[in-house]
Amino acid sequence: MAEHHDQHGAHGAGHDEHAGHHPNYKKIYFTLLGLLVVSVVGPVFGIVWVTLISAFGIALVKANLVIQNFMHLKWEKRIAKWFLTASLVLMALFVGGVSVDVLNHEGNNWENIAAQAAVERGLAAAAGEEVVEEEAAEPVDVGFNAPNMFNLVCASCHGAAGDGKGAAGLALDPRPANFTDPAFWAERDRARIVNVITNGGASVGRSPLMVGWSASFSAEQIEQLADYVETFRPGA
Amino acid sequence: MAFPKPQATLRSATGIPTGRLAVWWLLASEVVIFGGVLGSYLMHRLGHPEWAEAASHTNTWIGAFNTFVLLTSSFTAVLAHQAAEKGDGKKAAGFLVLTIGGALTFLMVKSYEWTVEILEGFTITANGFWSFYYTAAGLHALHVIAGAIIMGIVAADAYRGRELQRVELIGIYWHFVDVVWIFLFPLLYIAK
Ligand code: HEC
Repeated sequence: MAEHHDQHGAHGAGHDEHAGHHPNYKKIYFTLLGLLVVSVVGPVFGIVWVTLISAFGIALVKANLVIQNFMHLKWEKRIAKWFLTASLVLMALFVGGVSVDVLNHEGNNWENIAAQAAVERGLAAAAGEEVVEEEAAEPVDVGFNAPNMFNLVCASCHGAAGDGKGAAGLALDPRPANFTDPAFWAERDRARIVNVITNGGASVGRSPLMVGWSASFSAEQIEQLADYVETFRPGA
Repeated sequence: MAFPKPQATLRSATGIPTGRLAVWWLLASEVVIFGGVLGSYLMHRLGHPEWAEAASHTNTWIGAFNTFVLLTSSFTAVLAHQAAEKGDGKKAAGFLVLTIGGALTFLMVKSYEWTVEILEGFTITANGFWSFYYTAAGLHALHVIAGAIIMGIVAADAYRGRELQRVELIGIYWHFVDVVWIFLFPLLYIAK
């Protein structure tokens, strides 16, 4: 490190070579106001590319005028430009990285049902059509499918085969129930299964690791899950 | 309040006085904050054609007027900087007070605008567009409030001829707040 730091004294701006640059601010200010008028008038014509250029192109020009001349970045040391650019680049990386997922509402292995429904509802409403109330009232039912739901939330413990050997289940004590074991079914009836899925293991004196799902699923959905659990029963 | 300044405030190893370096550093982080909000908004907006309907309810004239107010306040802020560099603290303080006036005008217009919109039922939970509208403009308004308060402190010092270098520093921050609005304006008001 150089021992020779600039000692600026109390004002801190003593030998600042950046100081003293004062372009014609009034001229820049009026240019900015002129550009503002253009950006408001441009979209009036309703031509897409005119709107895009007059709104966003001009925003870039205005921002650049302010940054270079009012913020004096034009005369600033290069290091400031570098780290401002660095943070812009990082921000662009973030936006670019997630954009494919946000812009699209479906991909190879996924589908954003809620977003698709929102677009549909919104466009219908904008077109003045009656929004069908039922659609909005029961959003959870959209695409509920017991096997998929079991694989999504239950299989981590119970295993996709229902044998209690899910990846997370292996670590639990007691182990998750094995629905493929005849002994399991010997002691349990349908009402018991529905009750456990609804209220959890603790409600029947079993492990609280098996939580109740009444907050996540409707009674109808729990019946469907119970149906699916019964498909693992040997001989079912 | 005469205590010695920390050593760091008196040096400029990068060739940039420490205070100004700190402001740039702050702004670099602001770029990520506002860039993240605006980038997310832009992506969602492109993915949701139905938001155009919601956007058509924003008032372009109010947006344009507030753009005018902020551009003007940036102009007075840079005149304050010029006066401070000439050592004229009183004049610098005067321009800063004008700039604060711009900030207050902006906020008053914004409160009027939001009141009307909220009463019409366009609240922050109305839909995705309005969520972004209030979040982005609200975050920006908080910066306007912070800037106005700091300018008040800097102006009070400058009036007594103290800490004149800070006039430039608050100015740089203020221009940044202006630049953010320059982008918010077309994004929220013009793209219908
Ligand atoms: C965090 C891991 C975990 C998840 C997730 C989980 N379970 Fe369980 N489950 C268990 C454990 C552990 C037991 C055994 C409790 C005992 O024997 O004390 C169990 C027991 C059961 C039983 C038998 C209860 C009895 O003894 O009568 C049923 C039925 C059941 N789970 C269904 C489900 C369904 C359906 C889901 C998904 C909605 C699910 N489980 C999700 C851990 C889990």
